[in-house]
Amino acid sequence: MTDRFAFLRRPASLSLRVTGLVGIAMLVVFLIFSWVSLRLLDRHFAGMDEEELGVIASSVIRALSEVQDGSDAQALRRAVRGHHGVYYHVADATGKALYEPKDGPDLARFAHGVPSATVAAGQDMTIWEEDGRTYRGGVIVAGGDGELSEVYTIAVAMDIGGHLDFIRSFRRIQWWIICGAMCIVILMSWFAVRWGHIPIRRANDKVRAITSSKLYLRLDPTSVPIELEETIASFNDMLGRVEDGFEQLANFSADIAHELRTPVTNVMTQTEVALGQARSAAEYREVLYSNLEEFGRLNRTINDMLFLAQTENDPGNLNLESVNLKETVLGLFDYFEALVEEREVKLEIRGPGFPVHADREMLRRALSNLISNAIRYTASGETITVRLSQTDRDAVISVENPGEKVPPEELSRIFNRFYRASGSAHRKGEGAGLGLAIVKSIVEAHGGSVSALSDERLTKFHVLLPSTNN
Amino acid sequence: MDLTMKLLVVEDEPKTADYVRQGLMEAGFVVDLARDGADGLHMATGEHYDLIVLDVMLPGLDGRQVLQSIRATGNQVPVLFLTARSSVDDRVQGLEMGADDYLVKPFAFSELLARVRTLLRRGGASLSQDRIQIADLVLDLARRRATRDGHRVNLTSKEFALLELLARRQGEVLPRSLIASQVWDMNFDSDTNVIDVAIRRLRAKIDDNFEPKLIQTVRGMGYTLDIPDD
Repeated sequence: MTDRFAFLRRPASLSLRVTGLVGIAMLVVFLIFSWVSLRLLDRHFAGMDEEELGVIASSVIRALSEVQDGSDAQALRRAVRGHHGVYYHVADATGKALYEPKDGPDLARFAHGVPSATVAAGQDMTIWEEDGRTYRGGVIVAGGDGELSEVYTIAVAMDIGGHLDFIRSFRRIQWWIICGAMCIVILMSWFAVRWGHIPIRRANDKVRAITSSKLYLRLDPTSVPIELEETIASFNDMLGRVEDGFEQLANFSADIAHELRTPVTNVMTQTEVALGQARSAAEYREVLYSNLEEFGRLNRTINDMLFLAQTENDPGNLNLESVNLKETVLGLFDYFEALVEEREVKLEIRGPGFPVHADREMLRRALSNLISNAIRYTASGETITVRLSQTDRDAVISVENPGEKVPPEELSRIFNRFYRASGSAHRKGEGAGLGLAIVKSIVEAHGGSVSALSDERLTKFHVLLPSTNN
Repeated sequence: MDLTMKLLVVEDEPKTADYVRQGLMEAGFVVDLARDGADGLHMATGEHYDLIVLDVMLPGLDGRQVLQSIRATGNQVPVLFLTARSSVDDRVQGLEMGADDYLVKPFAFSELLARVRTLLRRGGASLSQDRIQIADLVLDLARRRATRDGHRVNLTSKEFALLELLARRQGEVLPRSLIASQVWDMNFDSDTNVIDVAIRRLRAKIDDNFEPKLIQTVRGMGYTLDIPDD
């Protein structure tokens, strides 16, 4: 809710992500390994114990069969030798104990099926605790067959404390090893991430060095790891666009200064000269008229530049509505009627009438600029054609005029601000060379594009406007 | 008619304010000047004006607030907005709040004068006359015909519309932009001399073979149709 928790909303740092993931993965692997090894160890001991207890049980049975008299406790004691920590108990069919170990667990009770505290019961073996010790043992009922004529109950058990101690210490050592290994893994992965970020930091230092006066600098995409290559390439592309925009802006400022300086100088000089000596009222009036004309031109230039700035800074500021393209063009033909008759050129429209989604005033302004441009460069007797057509996605307006080929290097700059055709002797009554720049900014504000083509016969301007149905 | 018209100009830029007042006074209006929004509102509500020229950017109370306050009192005086920026927002906002017209700075005084006259005429004099006569030029508005010295002059419909505009506003200097806007609905500066050519062609039909010459060029400002003084 407050900025105190802003760091929580931010994506986790890369070092944290990598270190955390590696840590978790390693922990899971270690735990599985530890669990499996403990299980194996456990099973190994159980097998060993069972085997030993089995050997003892069969020794007791052999002794019983040899003596043929269960009451010979001596013989039973002798039956098992060389085994440490092993206990056994023999009872006859009536439950009378024939042999009891001197110490160890209460096997009589165990033999009757009531072990004191069962820890784990396997198929044949039971583990229980008694007097602070842990025993593993089993009960066998033998006899009543060829070998032994009578039935005996034999309980065997062994103290497995030593095994458990071993397993406990093994587990403890394993935990220490896991903790140590985890620390090493986490440290290593953190270090690996830091080390892995060195190229990023190095690239970052280079980026930092790109100031507004050094926009020509580029990063070398081959000097970074392959994963960063695309990022660096995109960055270079973006830098290219910024550089272009920056240069255009810088040139534009210079152009503005130049465009304004000339008329201002004219007005100043003229006014100063006029005031240099006494003149007749008519002469003063002449100066004022001349100034007025110059100011009028300045005013138009300023308004056009303002319009351009606004259209480009805020292209969303359009009053969009459905506009019939053909009617709009015919309305403009009406406006240009007097001019084309005087220039002895003709205006022609081809193509169907259909609506486009556009700002009516802006569209009229753009088309008017294109048509007046065409009229300016068309020789008398020729015809200017406006073609309207539609594709799936765009409305296409092309304005074609017969005329000399515009050289490609000029064609590429034709939409630049203050651009004037080479040998621009025709300055009279003309604008400041912002007409086509205005066309471009209007069309682009509508999400469209404009291009110019020229060959020996024709010069064409293509305007693409996104279709109504978007 | 103009002599009795009283205007209020609310403008804080001293030079602009003084010249606008002088220009309007010399055009025959009585002009009061307010140099900030609060004064402007006070004067607008305290006295009767036929039209208010209101700058949008004013210290303290800005033009929009002044306009809102004026309209809030039920006062329907025509208001001409002067805006520094021609952004659509400003324009639309101004017109929605009840301004009757707007003009973007920097503007030409002739343009301001022409628009002031248009607004004043809108409320008053009727357009329902069907005949205009200036010297021996006669316009039959109902049948869209013009005669000069009794001779029928053949005009295209746009030429007649142009002539009608000039004749209705006899003696007023009409800037090219106003002519383009009124006759062809072209509401932006065009970098062509279409209006000059159209006037030249109209002149050829109306004035070339006749005296006196009625259509006059006012250098740097525009055109006017009137009977010459001399």
